[in-house]
Amino acid sequence: MKNNNPLSPHIQIYNWHVSSLVSISHRISGVINYLFFIFLCIWISFVFLFGQHYNLFADFFNSIFGKFFVISIIWSFSFQILSEIRHLFWDLGYGFDLKISNITGLCVIFGSFISTVLIYFIGRGII
Amino acid sequence: MVQINLPENSKIQKGKYYKDKTGSKNLRKVNVYRWDPSTDEKPRIDTYEIDMDNCPSKVLDILNKIKNEIDPSLAYRRSCAHGVCGSCAMNMDGKNGLACTKSHAEIKGDINIYPLPHLKVLKDLIGDLSTLYKQYESVQPWLKTSKKPEKENLQSREDRSKLDGLYECIMCACCSTSCPSYWWNGDKYLGPAVLLQAYRWIIDSRDEDRKERLKKVADELKLYRCHTIMNCTNACPKGLNPAKAIAEIKKMLATSNI
Repeated sequence: MKNNNPLSPHIQIYNWHVSSLVSISHRISGVINYLFFIFLCIWISFVFLFGQHYNLFADFFNSIFGKFFVISIIWSFSFQILSEIRHLFWDLGYGFDLKISNITGLCVIFGSFISTVLIYFIGRGII
Repeated sequence: MVQINLPENSKIQKGKYYKDKTGSKNLRKVNVYRWDPSTDEKPRIDTYEIDMDNCPSKVLDILNKIKNEIDPSLAYRRSCAHGVCGSCAMNMDGKNGLACTKSHAEIKGDINIYPLPHLKVLKDLIGDLSTLYKQYESVQPWLKTSKKPEKENLQSREDRSKLDGLYECIMCACCSTSCPSYWWNGDKYLGPAVLLQAYRWIIDSRDEDRKERLKKVADELKLYRCHTIMNCTNACPKGLNPAKAIAEIKKMLATSNI
C-alpha cells in the first residue's frame, strides 16, 4: 500500500458519550490528584521546616485563586473516588448494560459536584 | 501514541457542492468524505443536495441515490443491506454504525458521513481493515480439540446460551474503530471486536484450548489497554456488549491461576 493514504478523522468527528466523557475526566482528575500529592508533600514539609512562615500558605488559601484551587482539588478527588467505585463494580462484572452505565456515569458527574459543595462547606464550617 | 491532530496529508478540505436538479422542495444536505487515490489531492468533503421525497429510509439509500443519480465516482462498501454482512460500517452523524440499518430520520440537521475513524483510507468511505483482520487471525477463531470427534460435538442448553451476545458479531469493526484506545494503540491493542471474538472461543464449552487462549490474550497491550470507555458498546449496531466481554476476560484472568 502506498504510504500517502490519509488517516480518516477520529476524535475530530466522533460524538462524545457520557461514558467517554467520564473516562477521560477520570484520567485527567487522576493526573491532577497525582500532582496534588506532590504539592501536599511540599506543603507538609514546609509546615515542619518553616512553621513560623505558615501565613504564606494561609494567605494563598484565602485568596480567590487559592479558593479556586482548593475547590478544584476537592472536585477532582470527589470525581476520582466516585468514578473509581464505578470501576470497582465493573471489575466485578456489573453495570455494563448501556442504560445502567449511562445512569452511573451521570451519577458520577452530578455526585462529584454535590460532594464538592458539601465537603467545601463542611470544611469551612458553614454547614 | 496519542496524536490528536490529523497528519498533514489527511487534513480535510472543502469539496464540491452538488446542487439539486430535481426541483424538489424536500431537500437535505449530505456531507460525504471523499479521497481519490489516483490524485495527489487531500481528502475533501463533498456536499450533495438530496431529494428526500424520493429516497428510502436508510443512510445507505442516500449513498445509493448519490452513486446512481448524482455522482457515480463515490466509493463505499455495501452488500446485504440488511445489517447482516457488516460491509457498510461507517461513521454517520459522529457515531459508527451500519449505513443500511441507520435511519436518516434519526439524524438532525445535515447528514455527515465519514469512513470508520482512524483507518488508512483506501478510497472515499473505504477504510483499510487489514490490521484488524490480522489481529482476528491471531486469536485463532476456530474450534480446537485434541481428538477428532466421532459424532456431533454436543453442547448443553446452558453452555450454548453462554455464546448468546457473542456469536451474533458480524465483524463490521464499528466498535474497534470507535475506541480511543484502539485509535492510539491499534497496532498492539487487539480492540473490542477481536477481544469479543477471543472471548467467544474462550467461553465455548467445546473448545479445549481455553488456558492457552487466556494466556495468549493476557497482555498489558493486547487486553489491558481497555479502560472501559464503552464507546464500543455504544457503537455496536447489533446491540452487543464488547466492553462486558472484555471485562469477563479480565475477570477470568484475575480469578484463575494461569
